Amino acid sequence: MKEQLLGKDSVKALCMSASDRWETYVPIETIGQDVQFIKLENQTKEITLDKLNLDYEFLLVPPKVMLFPQIESLLKFQDGKIIETVKPQARRLFFGLRACDVKAMLFMDDFFKRNFEDIYYLNRSMEKLLVIVGCKRPLENCFCTSVKTGPFLEKGFDLQLIDIGNKYLVEIGSKKGKEFVASYGRFFDEASEDDVEKSNTAKCNTEQAVSLRLDFEKAIKKFCEDKVPNQIYERIAQRCIYCGGCLYVCPTCTCFNVFDEQNARFGGSRYRNWDACVFEGYTREASGHNPRLEKWVRTSRRYEHKLKYDYLTTKMSGCVGCGRCLSTCPVNIGISQVIEEVAKN
Amino acid sequence: MRNEYIPYPAIIKSIQAESFDTKTFKLVFEDNALAMAFDYEPGQFVQVSLLGIGEAPISITSCPADTGFLELTIRAAGRLTRAIHQLKPKDKIFIRGPYGNSFPIEQVRGRDLYFIAGGIGLPPLRSVIRAVFDRRGDFGKVKILYGAKTPDELCFKEELRVWKQMDDTELLITVDKPDERWKGNVGVVTTLWNKADMTTSSGVAFVCGPPIMIKYVVTELLQSGFKDENIYITLERYMKCGIGKCGHCNIGERFVCIDGPVFTYGQLKKFPVKERAIA
Repeated sequence: MKEQLLGKDSVKALCMSASDRWETYVPIETIGQDVQFIKLENQTKEITLDKLNLDYEFLLVPPKVMLFPQIESLLKFQDGKIIETVKPQARRLFFGLRACDVKAMLFMDDFFKRNFEDIYYLNRSMEKLLVIVGCKRPLENCFCTSVKTGPFLEKGFDLQLIDIGNKYLVEIGSKKGKEFVASYGRFFDEASEDDVEKSNTAKCNTEQAVSLRLDFEKAIKKFCEDKVPNQIYERIAQRCIYCGGCLYVCPTCTCFNVFDEQNARFGGSRYRNWDACVFEGYTREASGHNPRLEKWVRTSRRYEHKLKYDYLTTKMSGCVGCGRCLSTCPVNIGISQVIEEVAKN
Repeated sequence: MRNEYIPYPAIIKSIQAESFDTKTFKLVFEDNALAMAFDYEPGQFVQVSLLGIGEAPISITSCPADTGFLELTIRAAGRLTRAIHQLKPKDKIFIRGPYGNSFPIEQVRGRDLYFIAGGIGLPPLRSVIRAVFDRRGDFGKVKILYGAKTPDELCFKEELRVWKQMDDTELLITVDKPDERWKGNVGVVTTLWNKADMTTSSGVAFVCGPPIMIKYVVTELLQSGFKDENIYITLERYMKCGIGKCGHCNIGERFVCIDGPVFTYGQLKKFPVKERAIA
C-alpha cells in the first residue's frame, strides 16, 4: 500500500473510532506536564483526548509499562486454593510511540517469547498495533542514530507517522497496519510524491537534530571481545548511589522480583514487580552468600547485560539509545557515557 | 499457552529430620494423574512455595525411579524454608517444575564416578547417586566424598550406611568439628584426598557444595587428572521464576535456571570471572 495522509485534525476522531475495537493507548499530558500513555476508557475518552500530546519530548516512564506493569498479580489465593489472574488476550493499539521505544518493545517481545513463554506479558503484547509518531525534537541525551533505533524505523512498526505540517505522512509497515488503514479509510487519503518528499526532509531534519553521536559499534565490539577494563566499573561504583532508577526507566529492563502478600482472611496475592540488578539483595541467597556483593560487579552486570550479553544472545543491543538513564540519574551517570568511554579507550 | 507461574498442590506424606536445621519432605501431588506423570531427571529442581509466604528453588532429592512421590531436603535458611519446617504431615505445599538441566547419566556409562559433596550439597547429588545404584553394573568404581560441619549435620545417615555396603563403592565422610562420639575423619572435604585414591584420567566428578568448597575441590580434581569437561558442578543462585525470565540467576549471558544448574568446569571457566563467584 502506498503512503497515506492523516490530517492532524483527524487524529482524535480516529482514536475515538479505533477505541471501539481496540484497547487504545495514547500519550496524554498529565499533572505537571508529564506525559504518559493512558488507555481511552468509555466515559472519559473525549476528556482524555483533550490532553493528547503527540509532540511530547520526554516520556519518563517507558511504554513497556503497558505490557509489563511495574507490579502485577501472578495469582491470587484463598483458603489454600489458587485463583488464576491471567487476563485474556487483548487487541491493543499504541498510538504515538517513538521509534526507540518501539525497538524496545520488540526486544521485550522476543525476550518474553524465548525459552518459556510468559503468558502475562504475551497476552498483552501478541495482538498489538504499533503506531509510531516520529520524533521532532530529540533531547540532548538521546543517541538513537548511533544505535540505529531511530528517530525513524525502516521496519518493525505497523504504521509510522511523519509530521509534514498540518498533516502526517503515514508509512505502512505491516499487513496489520494496512488492514487498520483500510478499515478506517475515511480518515486517510493517498499521499502525493510531494508529501513523501516533505516527509523525507522532515526525517532528515530530526536525524540531524540528534546531537549526541557515539561510536556504538566499536563499543559493542569491545564489550563482546571482553576488552572493557574493570576500572571503568570501579570508577562508576564510586559515584553510583545504587538507587536503581536508571533500570526502572529503561525500556528494555525485564528483571522482576516475586513476593506474596497475605490478608487476615487467609487470602492474598503473589505479585511480581520490577527489580534492578544493581541492588545488593538482588543476588543474595538465603545462606547469605552473594555472588555479586561488590558494587562494581553489580555495575558491570548492569552495563554488560545491555551491551554484551543481550548482543551475544540476540544480536540486538539491549540499549536503544533513549537516554532515559542519564536523564533520570541523580548523580549524572548514563549508559551513553560508558559507551563513549569504552569506544574511546 | 501454558501458565508456568501456577504451582500445583502437593501433600506432605512424611518428614524425616536430617539434622538440627535440615529435613527431608516426602510429597505427593494432590492430583493423582499429575503425581504419576511428574517426570524429572537427577539434578533438576522445583519451585516450592507456600501461599502467602513465598517461593524458592529447591533441588529434587529423590530419584526418577521413585514414582508417585517427590522428596525434597530443605535446610531452614530463610523465611520460606523456616515456614516449611513448621509444617506437619498432611499439610499442603505448592510445587511447579521440574526446571533446569540434569546430570548426564547416559553419557557416563562405564566410567568411574566420583561424588564430592559439602553440607547441604549432598541432597541434589543423592538423586544421581541413587540413579547410579539402581543400575550399578552400568558404571565403574563409585567414590563418594562427603563433608559436613558437624556429625549432626550429615544428611541421610541411615542411607549412608547402605551406600557403604554397595559393590565397588567407597564412601568417605569427614566433619569440620567432631563431637566426643565421632571416630571418623576430621577436616574439610579436600583432606579426604589423602585417604582416597583420586588419581584418574577418565573419571567423572559430580560436585555440589558451598562456593568456597567448590573452589578447593575443583583445584584438587584438576591436580588428580580430571579433565575440565568431566567435572560437573551444580550451582546455586537466587531465583524467582525458574524459567529464564526474572534475571536473578544470570551469569554472563546464561541463566542458571535454564542453562544450568549443572555446568561442567569447562563451561564454568568461560563464565566472566567477576560473576561466577567460585574457582
